[in-house]
Amino acid sequence: MTTYRAPLDDVRFVLHDVLDAGRLAGLAGLQDATPDVVDAVLDQAARLAETVLFPLNQTGDAEGCTYDNGVVRTPAGFPQAYATYIAGGWTSVTADPCYGGQGLPALLNFVVDEFMTSANMALAMVPGLSHGAYHAIAAHGDDALKATYLPKLADGTWTGTMCLTEPQCGSDLGLIRSKAVPAGDGSFRISGTKIFITAGEHDLAETIVHLVLARLPDAPPGTRGVSMFLVPKHLPVDDGGATRPGARNGVVCTGIETKMGIHGSPTCTLVFDEATGWLVGAPHKGMRAMFTMMNDARLAVGIQGLGVGELAYQNALAYARERRQGRVPGGRADDGVAADPIIDHADIRRMLMTMKAQLEGGRALAYWTALHVDLASRHPDPARRRAADDLVALMTPVVKAHLTDLGQDIADLAIQVHGGYGYIRETGIEQLLRDARIARIYEGTNGIQALDLVGRKLGEGAGRLLRQVFHPIDAFLADHRDDPVAAPLTGPLAKAFGRLQLATGLIARTALKDPSEATAAAHDYLKLLGLVTVGWLWARMALAARAKAGGPGADARFLDAKVKTATFYMQHILPQAAAHAAAIAAGAGSVMALDADAF
Amino acid sequence: MATDPNSTIGRATVIGAGTMGSAIAAHIANAGVAVDLLDIVPDGAGDRSRLAKGALARLLKTDPAPFMTRRAARLVTPGNIEDDLDRIAASDWVIEAIVEDAGIKARLYDRIVPHLKPDAILSSNTSTLRLADLTAGRPADLRRRFVITHFFNPPRYMRLMELVAAPDADAGLIEALTRFCDIRLGKSVVRAKDTPGFIANRIGAFWVQSAVNDAFDQGIGVEAADAVIGPPMGIPKTGVFGLLDLVGLDLMPHIAKGLRDSLPAGDPFHAVDRRHPLIDRLIADGYTGRKGKGGFYRLNRTGGAKVKEAVNLATGAFAPAVKQRLDSIAAAKDGGLRALLTHDDATGRYAWSVLSATLAYAAQLVPEVADDIVAVDTAMRLGYAWTYGPFQLIDRLGAGWFADRLGAEGRTVPPLLALAAEAGGFYREEADRLAYLDTNGSYKALERPPGVLLLADIKRGAKPLLRNGSASLWDIGDGVTCFEFTSKMNTIDEQILALLGQSIDLTAQTAKAMVVYNEGDNFSVGANIGVALFLANIAAWDQLEDAIRTGQTLYKTLKYAPIPVVGAPSGMALGGGLEVLLHSDAVQAHAETYAGLVEAGVGIIPAWGGSKEYLLRQLANPRRPGGPMPAINQAFQTIATATVAKSAAEAQEMLFFRRGDGITMNRDRLLADAKAKALDLARDYRPPAPQDGVRLPGPTAAEAMKLAIDAFRLLGKATPHDAVVATALARVLSGGDTDWTGEVGEDDLLTLERAAFVALIRTPETLARMEHMLTTGKPLRN
Repeated sequence: MTTYRAPLDDVRFVLHDVLDAGRLAGLAGLQDATPDVVDAVLDQAARLAETVLFPLNQTGDAEGCTYDNGVVRTPAGFPQAYATYIAGGWTSVTADPCYGGQGLPALLNFVVDEFMTSANMALAMVPGLSHGAYHAIAAHGDDALKATYLPKLADGTWTGTMCLTEPQCGSDLGLIRSKAVPAGDGSFRISGTKIFITAGEHDLAETIVHLVLARLPDAPPGTRGVSMFLVPKHLPVDDGGATRPGARNGVVCTGIETKMGIHGSPTCTLVFDEATGWLVGAPHKGMRAMFTMMNDARLAVGIQGLGVGELAYQNALAYARERRQGRVPGGRADDGVAADPIIDHADIRRMLMTMKAQLEGGRALAYWTALHVDLASRHPDPARRRAADDLVALMTPVVKAHLTDLGQDIADLAIQVHGGYGYIRETGIEQLLRDARIARIYEGTNGIQALDLVGRKLGEGAGRLLRQVFHPIDAFLADHRDDPVAAPLTGPLAKAFGRLQLATGLIARTALKDPSEATAAAHDYLKLLGLVTVGWLWARMALAARAKAGGPGADARFLDAKVKTATFYMQHILPQAAAHAAAIAAGAGSVMALDADAF
Repeated sequence: MATDPNSTIGRATVIGAGTMGSAIAAHIANAGVAVDLLDIVPDGAGDRSRLAKGALARLLKTDPAPFMTRRAARLVTPGNIEDDLDRIAASDWVIEAIVEDAGIKARLYDRIVPHLKPDAILSSNTSTLRLADLTAGRPADLRRRFVITHFFNPPRYMRLMELVAAPDADAGLIEALTRFCDIRLGKSVVRAKDTPGFIANRIGAFWVQSAVNDAFDQGIGVEAADAVIGPPMGIPKTGVFGLLDLVGLDLMPHIAKGLRDSLPAGDPFHAVDRRHPLIDRLIADGYTGRKGKGGFYRLNRTGGAKVKEAVNLATGAFAPAVKQRLDSIAAAKDGGLRALLTHDDATGRYAWSVLSATLAYAAQLVPEVADDIVAVDTAMRLGYAWTYGPFQLIDRLGAGWFADRLGAEGRTVPPLLALAAEAGGFYREEADRLAYLDTNGSYKALERPPGVLLLADIKRGAKPLLRNGSASLWDIGDGVTCFEFTSKMNTIDEQILALLGQSIDLTAQTAKAMVVYNEGDNFSVGANIGVALFLANIAAWDQLEDAIRTGQTLYKTLKYAPIPVVGAPSGMALGGGLEVLLHSDAVQAHAETYAGLVEAGVGIIPAWGGSKEYLLRQLANPRRPGGPMPAINQAFQTIATATVAKSAAEAQEMLFFRRGDGITMNRDRLLADAKAKALDLARDYRPPAPQDGVRLPGPTAAEAMKLAIDAFRLLGKATPHDAVVATALARVLSGGDTDWTGEVGEDDLLTLERAAFVALIRTPETLARMEHMLTTGKPLRN
């Protein structure tokens, strides 16, 4: 049996002491987001995650979803838990008050996501998708669509999906074949088969709102000819001012997948047969609308890596304190047991420190990025909005790929700490590795994230996006150049930052001449940027902890742990930057040297 | 008459002060020749020369400027054809540029011919009438010195001049005039036969008419038509409809009428000579092109924003112009022109129908309109700004392939094309020379006139002495090397700097002198700010400072090189490109050189020694009155406002070029002139003596300049960041922390430049300026 406690202290430290998230309350529309309110919301979210969602995590995995003739049932307890979830207003945290939302910061929603994902990743995905659908419709839908659907997605009585993938079309959306034909009344008839659709059919909500990518009859080939349509499972009817689901639309679920993990989440095949739908956004501009949904979803998936990793770490730590094996030199021979807790063994410590340093650093990275989502949409100064938007655009692929890599690594280390007990189902640890695995694949594989970073984000505006990360790090290093106390942190950081600068310049130069050079370096570059940025955030956390340590009522042990974990990161994790930099410098030569048919 | 071009035409007269006549007069003045501009006396005029005077006033306001300097404008004397016949009598060349009416022209000739000097040339700028008609019934003595000199609009900038002479014309006179137009006016003179529309307009009108007809017939939108019949074919991006907007929609019916009335019945032009009701309606509604309310395109300013709109050829309605992303053009990027013409979609078929008809037409016009294909290609390149003439285009397609496809479609293959298909093309490279196909089927070497030296010819079949990704060094004979920029838009980057150092060394070891020259559209648009911006964005300050130091070191090496270096710019010579010229021993500039230290526009200052050199040049100016302060202020003003000289002559007035630097009017003669200047300097060459320290005022002057900046700020003439940049510049030009008693050395000024640059490039406003320039090509005023 696993256990979970939401890491409120760590979250609050990042939000209040490192990021000064309280400043969001100074932005128009976010006046309510004061630290007190944020803390209260977090307390409630923690309780919901711990007491409602988490108890269903292992049972949901064991039972899974069932399919019968077009009907999908989620595991026992899921419908009730979802009802509790929406009754608490958790689907409407960031939604616009005019559609029944609470108008709170996106940042706060990401933290709630972390807790919910730790507690039950399979169930937490459903509101996550609704959130993406809400944003796509809010940004690109016409007023009628917004009025009908946004209140329902906000209150959670209806849920959303994103229908992109088709059997022949995964990472390359230019291959989409689903068709949309104008019906003559402003609506369209959508036909085609979509696969791998999370929550495409389920028993949690009144109805489901599908956002479907399809081609109009006059569509140009490739991604330039893809449009987005809203296709409800039931056609809505106006019932005396209130909207309710009416007749079934022409979309059926023809089966669900048997998967490695997230068993509690139904992964559906949907067949659209002349289903009625409405255009969201302009014709052939579906990719733009899709990316509105996708960018948000990519950050959310990064946070899934964080959430599953947190659960894995907590349980590995508990087990390491309790399990006794072997003696360490000078061990605790005081209580009559002939073995020490394995947490005393250096190799176990190494694993725990790695998990802790990666998790807490990754959390700082995720929330630093998420904070800028709010700044990008609400800061009064357009230049600051654009700068924040640049930062989010640059760091979204890093958050997605780096954090989902870490999530899987941490789940894997948690099994290792557990030894044989980690490998058996009963303990509940192996589930976490299975659940975490998908996050490196969906919403754009981590390889696609790296290509996005290097192919689109790095060169944009001759490196304008990079400025949002490189200048703060450069300024931080300059500010602390003569600070001997910070030197153990800033020394390694400066070295790794120099490697990052060189690698960035190298890729920018070679990419101009030979795009394959840049794509071969993409993975290493994403990891390098992630490692260095987290390194900088660790240095900031350590300095913030030190500054706070002298204050009244400070939790000295908690703050001291931050400084020590930061030092561990600089000495044992950040050096990976050198390896990635070396691989980048080596170039694409040996990557591509072997002929495809010589393998 | 002597053939020395400096003595042939001492004075000229232009009759007809319309758009063309007045601009031709301006350009003759640009050559330093006094010119009378005459027109009729309007009925009841108080000032009998009102028309010519009005034209002169308009010339001074026209953009792009017809005059190269305001000094040139003083060489034009307005007058009228009733009171100033004596001035005609003083002219060596009289150009008639009046209304296109043979009868009116004849009456004018009747009046002026008696006043012509015995050996004076009379020419007409007609574009639609024929020489034979204009000279009908004139005595042999006039026919021998009467020609058509057909300039293209605008005459200062369009390099083509078509010249038509009668068979019994005086060869010596024609030769002298040709040399004058070539060397003094900078025109490429193409000999055309006395046929309707001569060469360029004959083909051009057919091409435009075909492209318009086919767009209507095949349902191709104007944006798609211009995208296809444009850059993919080496044709300016105005395409066809944009070109009509530029020259005026109402001009087309005029030219068409001229050709309709004069071309023989069997000419293919008649088959494409159609009027389109939509175009007639546009003209009637005032949509005559850019001079009117717009044309096929218009700018819709309703609602504050400027929206470019295009007309729908089917409905006549305007809608926002759509940027074209065509598969046929994408195919051409990979597969060349042939891939475009064989692309199986609407725009691919359109491209084929227009271009095949045009090229086939051109192929049947030789020798009817010109003696050889070279004249036709030159006319279309310089008269219509095509990158390739029709015969070069056929060679790019493959003459055999083109003839086969015409044949396969059952169309006539012109005999000359059949010859080329058999021989293997219209041009071929013979060892290091280019040869063209003669009308009898043999190849003839392409001879350049004396005094024309083209790097393209030198490079043919030769290997560079040195080369990297951004520059090359060539041996151009007689112990002179040529340093050529080859980077994109000839921006200066680290590779150019590296090869420049090596080139100076190699030239010093193995040759006598070096010329810095290239045959791009622009000498150099400046340093590659994309690289600088990227380095700044990733906070690579050390690398940036190194890049500045490297540039300073190399430019200083250039200045003190043991061999003479002559800079030979044409087109834009901006920023880092002009800094090369400022460090050269001498400049031989094409007249159409646009030089400026424009760094302030992107939020920085010239820091490769440009601020220093320009300051030293101002300080050393012997014509400067009143001590060093006016010199410092002049340098400050010019750099802070990023002022660009609009001609080589103006660059000389602004001291970007020295008094002794040369100006070449004809682009094709620039390299030969620069080489001659380099060889001249190489005799007994001594590198410049090390620069003495200069006395500069220091912070007090910087403070005074800052007050001036603040005043500009208050007047709204400078933006907040303009003030930041200017303040940094003021510190450099005033010598930093010095005063009149101390001496500031060359390296001290370089250190100041570097410090100012590094400080400015750390500001977000400078980075925003750089990014804006890179993405839009325009300065950001922040």
